[in-house]
Amino acid sequence: MIKSQNLLTEVESKELLKKAGIPVVEAKLARSKKEAISVSKEMGFPVVLKISSPDVVHKSDSGGVKLGLANATQVGKAYTEIISSVKQAYPEAQIEGVSVQPMAPSGVEVIVGMSKDPQFGPVLMFGLGGILVEVLKDVSFRIVPVTERDAREMIREIKGYPILEGYRGQKPASIPALEKLIVKVSQFVEKNPQIKELDLNPIFAYPDKAVAVDARIILE
Amino acid sequence: MFEEKLKEFEPIFYPKSIAVIGASATSIKAGSLWVWALRSAGFPGLIYPVGASGGQIADLKIFPNLRLVPGEVDYVIVAIPRQSVLELLDDCAAKNVKAVQFFTAGFSEIDAQQGRKLEEQMLEKARQGNLRIIGPNCIGVYCPEHKIPFLLGILGESGSVGFVSQSGGIATKLVTNGIARHINYSKGVSFGNGIDLDASDFLQYLAADPKTKVIGAYLEGTRDGACLFNTMKEVAKVKPLVVWKGGRTEAGAQAAMSHTGSLASSAAIWSAMLKQSGAIEVHSLEELTDTLLIFQQLRHWQGTRAAIIGGLADGGGGNSVAAGDACMENGLKVPPLSFETKQKLSELLGEVGSILRNPVDVSQAQFRGLAALFQAIDLIARDTIIDIVLIQEDIDILLPIYSRKGLEEINEFFIELGSRQNKPIIVVLPSGSAEPERLQIEQKLLAASIPVFCSMEHAAKAICKLNKYSCRQEAK
Repeated sequence: MIKSQNLLTEVESKELLKKAGIPVVEAKLARSKKEAISVSKEMGFPVVLKISSPDVVHKSDSGGVKLGLANATQVGKAYTEIISSVKQAYPEAQIEGVSVQPMAPSGVEVIVGMSKDPQFGPVLMFGLGGILVEVLKDVSFRIVPVTERDAREMIREIKGYPILEGYRGQKPASIPALEKLIVKVSQFVEKNPQIKELDLNPIFAYPDKAVAVDARIILE
Repeated sequence: MFEEKLKEFEPIFYPKSIAVIGASATSIKAGSLWVWALRSAGFPGLIYPVGASGGQIADLKIFPNLRLVPGEVDYVIVAIPRQSVLELLDDCAAKNVKAVQFFTAGFSEIDAQQGRKLEEQMLEKARQGNLRIIGPNCIGVYCPEHKIPFLLGILGESGSVGFVSQSGGIATKLVTNGIARHINYSKGVSFGNGIDLDASDFLQYLAADPKTKVIGAYLEGTRDGACLFNTMKEVAKVKPLVVWKGGRTEAGAQAAMSHTGSLASSAAIWSAMLKQSGAIEVHSLEELTDTLLIFQQLRHWQGTRAAIIGGLADGGGGNSVAAGDACMENGLKVPPLSFETKQKLSELLGEVGSILRNPVDVSQAQFRGLAALFQAIDLIARDTIIDIVLIQEDIDILLPIYSRKGLEEINEFFIELGSRQNKPIIVVLPSGSAEPERLQIEQKLLAASIPVFCSMEHAAKAICKLNKYSCRQEAK
């Protein structure tokens, strides 16, 4: 667990991003099992539940994420399991409840992030999600403000670019949607200098759009 | 763009008078060396040595104090210990000096706290005295047109390449390598700690300077990244800007909570910044000088379809294969020659023993005389499938076959071909067992504006950088 006063929860992060015009899979906070079930019904199944705590950075490591919940019974069970396994892993963590969101259909996973360089200030990163970013570090960077041309170049710069174009029958990712998203993120961090770091990880890219499935914002 | 810098920097690159602080008649001090260097370079303005000992350096009187210098002083070079620099800045302000360059070292580069404090005091005095500081810890300005040499009197010909360097050692190597390779500089500067004027200021000046057509830079860090980034974007719009970032491996990644933070190393960010600003990144002194050379000679060139001509006398086979690999691996295309060219070549050279695809081995020409060799090269250069001609010239193989006289004729032909062909003719001269002859030929070709490289790999890399830049400019 990384203790941080400045970590916004997923629900808070996504609210800010949505206001800035960055497409996200909306998440709602549920403070009880009952609330989790009623929010799920509102959204429509299947849903995803994730622990909501300002103290838990890596949610899935502590059993804090349950995917593909198909009905109210599964949601109720998942709620109980998430709360108890996070409490066990991090007894000191302050737990608000869980975030509930619709289960997004799978797309090409990419990551867009921001960190601050001591010499050049906010810097955006783009890469393919999952193993490609973690193991191969196949990512590209640009200094904020990132123009449309920069976004275009940083997407094409990564070695895994052919995967975005649709590899071996896989559906392609909308490059224009990704370009637009990157430029929007650049504008967002430019307007909000109090943001220290940001990860949209993963973003699911589809043939016609791109949506941030998880988001994390860390303030100065 | 940045036109205001021209007037502001006039006293720095074209001073009417220079005072050198720390000169001595009796002992060999850096100050004295500077006076000698300026004097022997033929600096056209007035030189005022200043030093406590008094006396003379050659015919120049040494003044005990800057305030006692009779005339106006534009530019001051300082080579005295750091304890005296604040007092000296008072003297400079009193004399209405425009710019002061500190060779004096021992500031923030060795002592983060005390050194930084002293630098702040210097800056304060400079602001009050309305003067600019270059350095400290630097060798300052190089301007061959105005006969301002680097320390030790190093002075090459005046030309069209400008450079900035944080390091004095790299700045000196740029100039000496430039002298060896006919890279001629308009202006250069080593600005050391850059407490006042830094890379951004000098890059802006070089962008505005009408004498400068291409700019090189060696940088290690910056105190104002946003300013440097914005400056580079503007500069790269008007002139090719080639940047070597030193110190790429320092541990820059601090504790980070995001993926992005942990992956954003300093080297990756610098590379991104350079790409984004439109600068051309290089990774060594050789790559920097190679790139400056090709930009100086060719300015602008689109096209990467290369003809590789090897085996001018013998030894073509394996070398040509290696040359082809080196070119392809570094981004050049090596297309087969057109049918017509191949046919004419085969009539000229015969089928046996030659390779007429591309890379081309023309070694059979040695049995048919130089005229056949020249004709073969001319045919290849004319092929419209080819954008650029790369000739591998192995002096140690050519010399025993053609002797010095033949060698001379061959290189004269290259020069003649280069002046007549509207596509670049580039010669690769690998070092070997005939160094004196090789150096002589390199000088001759370079003087005739034929770019020369030490290997196919170096040549290919430089050509690709020029091509990429030219294509990018075109796309704008």
